[in-house]
Amino acid sequence: MDVSNPPSSIKFDNISKEYGGFRALRDVSFDVKEGEIVGFLGPNGAGKTTAMRILSGFFPPTSGRVLICGIDMSQHPHKAKRAIGYLPEMVSLYPDMKVIEYLRFVARLKGVPAHELQGHVRNKMSFCGLLNSGHRLIGRLSKGYRQRVGLAQALVADPPVLVLDEPTTGLDPTQIKEIRELIRALGQNRAVILSTHILPEVAMLCSRVIMINQGQILASGTLPELASCLKDREAIHIRIKDRRDQDRALRILTSIPGIEALRVAGEAGGETFISFETSPGQDLRPRIMKLFVEQGISLAEIQRLQLSLEDIFLGFLKNGKSERRFP
Amino acid sequence: MRKILTIAQKEFTSCFHSWLGVLMAAFFFLASGIFFVILVLGYSKISMNPQQYGLSNFSGLNQTQYIFGSFFSNLSIMLLFLVPTLTMRSFAEEKRQETLELLFTYPLSDFEIVAGKQLGISLLFGALLLPFSGYLAVFHWIGGEFDWGPVWLGFFGFCLLGISYLAAGVFISSLTKSPVVSALGTFGVLLLFWIFDWVDNVATGSWVRVFSELSPLAHYKNFTLGILDAQDMVFFFFFFLYFLFLTLRSIETRNWKS
Repeated sequence: MDVSNPPSSIKFDNISKEYGGFRALRDVSFDVKEGEIVGFLGPNGAGKTTAMRILSGFFPPTSGRVLICGIDMSQHPHKAKRAIGYLPEMVSLYPDMKVIEYLRFVARLKGVPAHELQGHVRNKMSFCGLLNSGHRLIGRLSKGYRQRVGLAQALVADPPVLVLDEPTTGLDPTQIKEIRELIRALGQNRAVILSTHILPEVAMLCSRVIMINQGQILASGTLPELASCLKDREAIHIRIKDRRDQDRALRILTSIPGIEALRVAGEAGGETFISFETSPGQDLRPRIMKLFVEQGISLAEIQRLQLSLEDIFLGFLKNGKSERRFP
Repeated sequence: MRKILTIAQKEFTSCFHSWLGVLMAAFFFLASGIFFVILVLGYSKISMNPQQYGLSNFSGLNQTQYIFGSFFSNLSIMLLFLVPTLTMRSFAEEKRQETLELLFTYPLSDFEIVAGKQLGISLLFGALLLPFSGYLAVFHWIGGEFDWGPVWLGFFGFCLLGISYLAAGVFISSLTKSPVVSALGTFGVLLLFWIFDWVDNVATGSWVRVFSELSPLAHYKNFTLGILDAQDMVFFFFFFLYFLFLTLRSIETRNWKS
């Protein structure tokens, strides 16, 4: 290992998992360092939850090694599990326990010393905004509050690694915002791995993305890295105020070298939409604008389309197996 | 050990969170109370006129044996209903609510989880037996004479039988996601063990001995008669360990089952 690099908080080393004859994960490797929030992305059934469960110590992988802060999960499961806080996909908590009672139960199981227990639990409750709900039954809480209790139990014993499996599903927009803010705050001094199929969430929270499909890693890297990898073509949209200028505009555009797939995308309210593709290196917009102005065509809008995470993700899914990695 | 106790405590208190636990306790007290009263009344009736019941002299009938011996052997039938309700929630409910998943991700071994649950339920069972001391007080108050040895032995045997049955119930609970299926399954298995006890009444042959040796009730009978035999204790010990082991194997299946 390079001395200058801090050891990874999470290291997944060639993990495979089989149930019966079904291979849920094949040779998955990645690592996450402290201070990173990594998005774990994939369609339903891609193996996200399986990976999260292996990571959290729910079951061992069929082959491969999991290292949590340098501790081998298979050799020292207790020590490794203590370093992890896990929020499962379906936050299922004992409905007949009170919030404070439950968190104390978790703290005892995670080995928080008895004399620190009271303060520790209070601290986590205040962080998750649960101080006023301590004596309510978990079964009577709203979904958002239950999610907070789930997050609080993951935080008990201050694990340096957090594993969050779809933390915002089923919440209303305000609750989603609150939970995201909590996660962002937590990611500053921890390693957080966040599984989700909500793409904007990843764009908002994560510093890095790992994409997984059919049990294999499709791609991993930061969002711009992934985008640049796919962007061998770039789309430009033009909106022209007057429909009668359409033919002239098209003629100008065909004369510019480097423009391909030129077409009229649609007409509405007397306006025309034209779209075409260029190679990403050259920005043709200033040149097009200049030519249009010279010809007296009134240009309402010219837009270079950024690839969204959806495009990137679908692109990788379509491109298939080839694994791309970035340093 | 602290973790085992934590789980045991949770298991113990969670029973009082539901009406089912309270109802079951009330039902158990009521039924055992009725057994006790009927036996005491029956004994006093015989004591009025022993000849009528084919007894030449009354002193031949031992009070402790008649009342507590029969009391404990009747109670073993109560276990058929009590044990399934005590154990049905242990794993099945956690599986249904998917709370087990989180438990497995805490720094706990499978053994600590199973042992904690077993301990909690056994303590709960023990708590249900506490009012029995009240029967002793009543018996003393109405002028009964104790033979302490057989009473304690009957009590001890009943605890062993109960805890062994609970281990079987916890195992069956670990097989299913539904507490109702768990309760019915446990009831069925306990019924089967009860039937083992009859086999030597209805059949002959050397194979019959296998059933009567495997029957928990046959081993329990010795305790109610005031006989302490190491064989019986060893039987219950292994009966308990066997189901504890099966439970551990059963929750390990998460490693390879989808």
